[in-house]
Amino acid sequence: MKNIYRPIESVIEDIKPETSNITTYRFRPKEPLTFAAGQFVELTVPGVGEAPFTPSSNPNVKDTLEITIMRVGRVTEALEGLKVGETVGLRGPYGNGYDLSDFDGKEILIIGGGVGLAPLRSLILALFDNIDRYKGISIRYGARTPDDIVYRDLIPEWEKMKNTEVMLTIDAPHPEWSGTVGVVTVLLERVPAATETAVACVCGPPIMLKFVNLKLLEKGFKPENIYHSMERNMSCGLGKCGHCMMGEFYICKDGPVMTAAQIEKFEDPF
Amino acid sequence: MKEVFIGRENLVRLIGRWAKDYRVYVPVTFEIMNEPETPDYALVGDEVPDTMELRGAAPATSPKTFLFYPREVVSHYPSSDDSAQVDAPPTVLVGPRACDLRGLQKFDKVYWSTEHFTEEYDDPFYIEKRKNTFIVSLDCTGAKETCFCTTVGGSPHPEDGYDLNLAPVEGGYVVAVGSEKGEALLAGSDDLVNQLNDTQTQERDRNRRSMTEAVTRQNAEFSVDTPHDKMDLEGTREVWADVTQNCVGCGACNRTCPTCTCFLLVDQQAKGGYERTRNWDTCLSIGFARTGGGGNSRAELPQRLENRLRCKFEHSRDRYGIVTCTGCGRCIDVCMGRIDMRQAIRDVVTEMAKA
Repeated sequence: MKNIYRPIESVIEDIKPETSNITTYRFRPKEPLTFAAGQFVELTVPGVGEAPFTPSSNPNVKDTLEITIMRVGRVTEALEGLKVGETVGLRGPYGNGYDLSDFDGKEILIIGGGVGLAPLRSLILALFDNIDRYKGISIRYGARTPDDIVYRDLIPEWEKMKNTEVMLTIDAPHPEWSGTVGVVTVLLERVPAATETAVACVCGPPIMLKFVNLKLLEKGFKPENIYHSMERNMSCGLGKCGHCMMGEFYICKDGPVMTAAQIEKFEDPF
Repeated sequence: MKEVFIGRENLVRLIGRWAKDYRVYVPVTFEIMNEPETPDYALVGDEVPDTMELRGAAPATSPKTFLFYPREVVSHYPSSDDSAQVDAPPTVLVGPRACDLRGLQKFDKVYWSTEHFTEEYDDPFYIEKRKNTFIVSLDCTGAKETCFCTTVGGSPHPEDGYDLNLAPVEGGYVVAVGSEKGEALLAGSDDLVNQLNDTQTQERDRNRRSMTEAVTRQNAEFSVDTPHDKMDLEGTREVWADVTQNCVGCGACNRTCPTCTCFLLVDQQAKGGYERTRNWDTCLSIGFARTGGGGNSRAELPQRLENRLRCKFEHSRDRYGIVTCTGCGRCIDVCMGRIDMRQAIRDVVTEMAKA
């Protein structure tokens, strides 16, 4: 029988610092490993352990994948010690991802906070590949300070895409910043006119999800059209180990993309 | 379904025959500091131990221990070998009771492809052992004070889920064959079994009725109006804080529970590379739901005990269609805070009715 716990050896092909504590890695798995936007993989630092990450690269690129990682714990700290050419392990893909056919003909609002823009970048790039299928894409991104903005070099290219707008904000005034200031919800005062049909894809820290969710509902978004990327401790990714359980849901299997409608019965789902 | 009678001494002979071909475990009595303990499994060697004890309630250890080891290597890496190396010697487990068989239903659902998972989620480490393990269950003939199978939809005798079942009667056992694997265990042992007579079936049925009544009677004080499969245990912060008052979060309940399936993967250096072990985990530990960034959806102990109890009654029901508290009472037996699951459920339900 197949061993569902075995990591696939993957070579680190590129390391690109994004901010002082966020880095984008490009991996080349030695065996086929593809994913859909929003799905996640388990990344093994050999001998240290595994942690779940949603790739940030275009899912239509099949032979490599990129993951943008913030240094927050044991596994991510150990990863920082590795160099180009060294190997890690990858398992997956796991979870549901976004069903892009649900977005056909619709206005898509993409809301990210901090390193939460990483999984959304994968979605954005997948949407760009078929941009004529959607009415419009609006990206709203909040970071703590100008130095904490990820993909600074890529965002100008996104702005050039057809039917696409990008809006940025930082949490507090900063001498090098002339744009909007405030948490990401300040970018949600103006939303697509047809909120009845528009969809929103949200990823960021739990506290951000909570307030963005409230704001979107207030603006008239339907709960079934708000897609959250849920943060839980997906340890096995296989719907078995129980660490990511939320009520009867296993976020690793039923998520990590969950609609506001699916989770509204929970007192504090984020 | 085939049923035969086997005399007590012939059963010992039969188990002896099994021990030639299989690893056989039977419950035995033992003492700690001159005090008798709940019987537990021992490996049968050349002789079937004369301390074998087939009467009473379920052994201290739940059968999950034989199919889902407390700690087990699940991967050596780096490796390009896609197949799992599973050590699953043919094993006969004599002694699980009806509550334990119900427990295995949860394991089958989580670890073996069913309507809930596609094949690519099949867990080779469980499945290979499960396939190679023969379950010889027993009718329960002596409930502990903490037994409550009848309040959660069970009974002290199994209806299905066994390969063979033994029901004690005068001079021996009624042997019921529940599967082809059960047939295989009896193959070649016609010399040891007899045809069943009506007196024996009647005695078995009488024992079953009286055990069912006894378990029901001893749980009368815990009865609630809500059926066990319709529970809503949302409760309030206060009632869960109250239930949790004596909980220290040790996780002994998780470990003895026949339906606690959760685990933790741990990686470490090993010969020629690294190995990944799968270890029993406890949802009562503070780190269980903690994420890399430090977030924790169940940072408080009452939230964790609430989750554990609701997992048994609500989450498993909503996800797998089964209530996974089997009423075996082990969590009550081992709790150093003397938390009684039955009392906890009653407290929450009573409080909800007031609201």
